[in-house]
Amino acid sequence: MGNYILKRLFQLIIVLIGVSIITFVILFVVPGDAVSAHAPKGATPQVLAMIRHNLGLDRPIYVQYGKFVWSLLHGNLGNSFQFNRPVTDMIREALPNTMQLAIAAVLIELLGIPLGVYSALRQFTFRDAAMTTTALVIWGVPVFVMGLFLQEVFGLWLNVLPITGAGGTTILGIIPGDLQNLEALVLPAFTLGILEVAYISYMQRAAMLEVIRSDYVRTARAKGLSERKVVLKHGLKNAMIPVVTVAGLDLGALMGGAILTETVFSRPGLGLMIYTAIGSRDLPVVVGGVLFATVVFVVANLIVDIGYALLDPRIRYE
Amino acid sequence: MSDAGPGSDTPVAPPMPDVVGSSGRGDGAPPLISPAAVPEARKSLGLWADTWRRLRRNKLALVGLAIIIVFMLVGLSQIIASLAHIQLTPYDPNGVNYSLSPKGIGVGPSWHHPFGTDYLGRDILSRTIVASRISMLVGVIAVAIALVIGLALGPVAGYYGGFVDTVIMRMADIFFAFPYILFVLLLLTVLGPGFVNVFIAIGLLSWASYARINRGSVLSVKSQEFVEAARAQGASDLRIIFRHVLPNTMAPVYVAIAMGVGGAIVTEAGLSFLGIGIQPPDASWGSMISSYLSYFPAGSWWMLAFPSVALVVTVFGFISFGNGLRDATDPKLKE
Repeated sequence: MGNYILKRLFQLIIVLIGVSIITFVILFVVPGDAVSAHAPKGATPQVLAMIRHNLGLDRPIYVQYGKFVWSLLHGNLGNSFQFNRPVTDMIREALPNTMQLAIAAVLIELLGIPLGVYSALRQFTFRDAAMTTTALVIWGVPVFVMGLFLQEVFGLWLNVLPITGAGGTTILGIIPGDLQNLEALVLPAFTLGILEVAYISYMQRAAMLEVIRSDYVRTARAKGLSERKVVLKHGLKNAMIPVVTVAGLDLGALMGGAILTETVFSRPGLGLMIYTAIGSRDLPVVVGGVLFATVVFVVANLIVDIGYALLDPRIRYE
Repeated sequence: MSDAGPGSDTPVAPPMPDVVGSSGRGDGAPPLISPAAVPEARKSLGLWADTWRRLRRNKLALVGLAIIIVFMLVGLSQIIASLAHIQLTPYDPNGVNYSLSPKGIGVGPSWHHPFGTDYLGRDILSRTIVASRISMLVGVIAVAIALVIGLALGPVAGYYGGFVDTVIMRMADIFFAFPYILFVLLLLTVLGPGFVNVFIAIGLLSWASYARINRGSVLSVKSQEFVEAARAQGASDLRIIFRHVLPNTMAPVYVAIAMGVGGAIVTEAGLSFLGIGIQPPDASWGSMISSYLSYFPAGSWWMLAFPSVALVVTVFGFISFGNGLRDATDPKLKE
């Protein structure tokens, strides 16, 4: 197990180096923007050259990359062109909103597990067919369409929930502390959650179908165990592993992947921060936001993989 | 890449070798594709005949296939029409007519305009039909870019193993590490918005999953007798990889293509919704939804509803067909 973790940590470092190189190259191919962003209107070529020098953009590329990585390692993501304040501060402000949304969405998507099991145990029935069809239709719905739909139904027609924003108080930064905060969370969380429930229930159904045909389930039945015990203890326990993995990965992916949802609901999280920055070509914020989301995603990935290896010994002996 | 068995002109290769599915989860295929989804041939039936026989019983997959065919026909005819500068829609999709939008919020569905008209009096049905062109192009071109890269690198990694494998698969890991839509956004911020850049960004980002899926199946195929036979005959490595191994590892890739086209269409719609994808005057379903959004509170539901339905139905077609194809080619689900 120790070997496995070491191996994965080593891979993580390689991935992070690769990510930093790719992001740096992307930054490097648009140096003109960084210069013109700092320059006053109608600046002479001499002034531009001076700004270029001050920003270190006239140094060799490997020196610039070194400086880039050095500041990254110090948690310095640069300053926003637009607001002239550290990107890390902006991330710190936006993060709780996004984390709250991601956690709530993942909790909702776990509903897909019982739904998938129910469907699998009733294979070839009308209910199974209806549930599977519904899951496939919902799976294909783009997240912004789902968001707009929920806004319309619950926000405008029924007028029971706010359709934009975030606010109110929280406990520990993410647990809703008052009604206002909770209300603002409900629609975005369900937008993401319902789509993932469809995906998770479909995956869980497939995994369950595979497991209940396996030899050890047949053995458990042959031993005369009750059907309930066979399904829950022998079947579900094994069929849940891949599905929980997907849910775990979603937690990381939603850090940045909630960009469409946050935009639809004007929820001031990481995604909306990046989206707004793209509009104003505020490159440090875009790059800093993407890098941060990537690191969270990669680390979440690693934790899920290690958990997976703990649960399923076969993984370790790859 | 032909659908035919390995090298029909080479006598050593059996017309349809039995392919044994890889053994476990350890082959690095993402959860999207069941690792063992390598086809197993029946004695009397060819691979594709067998797959079709099983696919036919899956009604959802057939509905999906029908949707894909209709979508492809409409999209293709629109591409040809735009190249030939002819109009294959009931009305001019960009024809502004203020008399059809007296209050500036369009007119609801009617006999003449079954999908209604938009705030400029343009016919929504015509615009929805024309927009299928972009979705089809993005699906086909982005996936083609990803396939070319993925199917060049994946089999090479799986076949040679060792150092080559490590380098290629770590590269794939790096591309997997970026949150998908964020990285596409980052690329588009740098490349600038627009048609071709969307294709490139999506393609560049999704090659890794094809490489991974294919590498997994190559690992399970490369020690088969027919590969051995080709090697004994003195075939070059490249010939063995692309002529003998690759055609026998394509079933999971076809599944990934079906899902990938659906995914690319959703991604494009999302990017256009954010305003960094397709730019006017080109219309895609995503950009239509985005531009009609502000008329929704005024009650103009038809502007939003029809492009959304077109998008959802098309993506459903690809996903349900992809899922059906996976079930039909998965030896573990054989009865």
